[in-house]
Amino acid sequence: MIKLESVSKTYKGEVSALEDASADIAKGEFVFLVGPSGSGKSTLIRLLNKSETPTSGTIYVAGKDIGELSSWKVPFLRRNIGCVFQDFKLLNSRTVYENVAFALEVIGRPKHVIETQVPAILELVGLAKKTDNMPHELSGGEQQRVSIARAFVNRPLILLADEPTGNLDPNTSVGIMRLLDRINRTGTTVVMATHDRAIVDTMRRRVIELDHGRIIRDQARGVYE
Amino acid sequence: MAIKLDYVARETAHSLRRNFTLSIASMVTVAVSLALVGSAFVVRAAVQHSTARWTGDVQFIVFMKPDASEAQIGAVRNALDPAKNNQVAKVVFFDKARAYKEFREVFRDDPVLLSTSRQSDMPTSFRVKPAIKNAELINQMGQQLKQAPGVYTVEFAYDTVKQIERVSKLVSTVILATALFLLAAAGLLILNSIRMAMFARRREIEVMKLVGATNWFIRVPFMFEGLIQGLVGALPASVAVWFLGTRINHSGGTRSSVAILQGLYVSSGEVWAVIFAMIVIGCLVGVIGSAVAVTRFLDV
Repeated sequence: MIKLESVSKTYKGEVSALEDASADIAKGEFVFLVGPSGSGKSTLIRLLNKSETPTSGTIYVAGKDIGELSSWKVPFLRRNIGCVFQDFKLLNSRTVYENVAFALEVIGRPKHVIETQVPAILELVGLAKKTDNMPHELSGGEQQRVSIARAFVNRPLILLADEPTGNLDPNTSVGIMRLLDRINRTGTTVVMATHDRAIVDTMRRRVIELDHGRIIRDQARGVYE
Repeated sequence: MAIKLDYVARETAHSLRRNFTLSIASMVTVAVSLALVGSAFVVRAAVQHSTARWTGDVQFIVFMKPDASEAQIGAVRNALDPAKNNQVAKVVFFDKARAYKEFREVFRDDPVLLSTSRQSDMPTSFRVKPAIKNAELINQMGQQLKQAPGVYTVEFAYDTVKQIERVSKLVSTVILATALFLLAAAGLLILNSIRMAMFARRREIEVMKLVGATNWFIRVPFMFEGLIQGLVGALPASVAVWFLGTRINHSGGTRSSVAILQGLYVSSGEVWAVIFAMIVIGCLVGVIGSAVAVTRFLDV
């Protein structure tokens, strides 16, 4: 599903965020990216949905070299990749329902599709009763559920999560991880960057550890350290 | 994927409301600059009409009698032939058909005169551009021709005609240059107002890109906003130019007591052409301004 071939990314100047990273992630896998801040986790996530382009190396997503992708096709790549962030990125002037519907609206899905898909996904993430609430009326965990619903409503092949539990307390984080696990069980490939030792150690999934932009460990059913 | 019209309309209206003052500023600048451009062209057209007979350094016109014989016309033509007379640089012969056409133009707001005159009543004429500069000599040449058989009269270009032509040319150039600067300012204002609108909605745009909205989907409402600003600015400018056109025809034309204003008029076709051009320019300024704004913003 995702394949990296000696990918490097150097930001302006000499800051090297990622160096010679190679990895192969199969369809339906659940992968943790771990490592200290600045180790290149976020850069790797941003490279996967073409928010950044690598300085060298090749990235394949669903068998396609995304470096070859012309810029007008990038939106269509992103429709197959859901994204979840630490800061949720919700639109504060829209209700829960509207936030999720927005994702379908802007890719031109017809009304009747939106009207059936959105309630279904909000049911899945456990927010069926909060559809008309505004984001600021929700707890952090609930807000992250909205953001996961938005990322997943289009049934993407891949879900990228950049520190999704970074702003949440441990109990809430467990709920979010259960949700991501459920999504993974539907066949969606999940790549999650995290600092959270407890989560990684309980989930026992594949772990890719980064340090100073290099992959120093790639372990099936791994732990944080 | 078709972009839905109601989506574009909704987003555009919302954005225009949100940036009300800046939108108004852009529209007013478009209006003022376009009004100047339009007025310059209309005044130019009017002056050109009044001095049309004297363009290209024509210094005097020899009018033949309507019943002048072919031989008499031939004699004058011979006398003015630049090949035989080195005092003449160029001569243009106006036959009855051409004279009638011009007559209908000049007296187009006098239906009585138009209905009572026929093409055969028209005098034929020679428009003469002399090769010599000396006014005395030119006058002499004209006076001589006046004596020739079949000649009705000889009309000389007045200095005032020349002066008016020169001044109008200068004034309209200055106005046009000013207007161009203003138009550029209008374009920048529109660019800025669109950028403000996009900045206000940067979070939404970020999410749109994240979930895979195409750039065109994001762009179109903003470009439409720029188009509306240009278009709405062009409308009052069009009204102003239309009003100017009617004023010119009202105070000038054949009814005017001031001799030099008698030929001053603009046809409605010319006014409409100027208005059409203004609307097109207004739309272009709006679209180009917003296009620059969105490309810069969507750069990733």
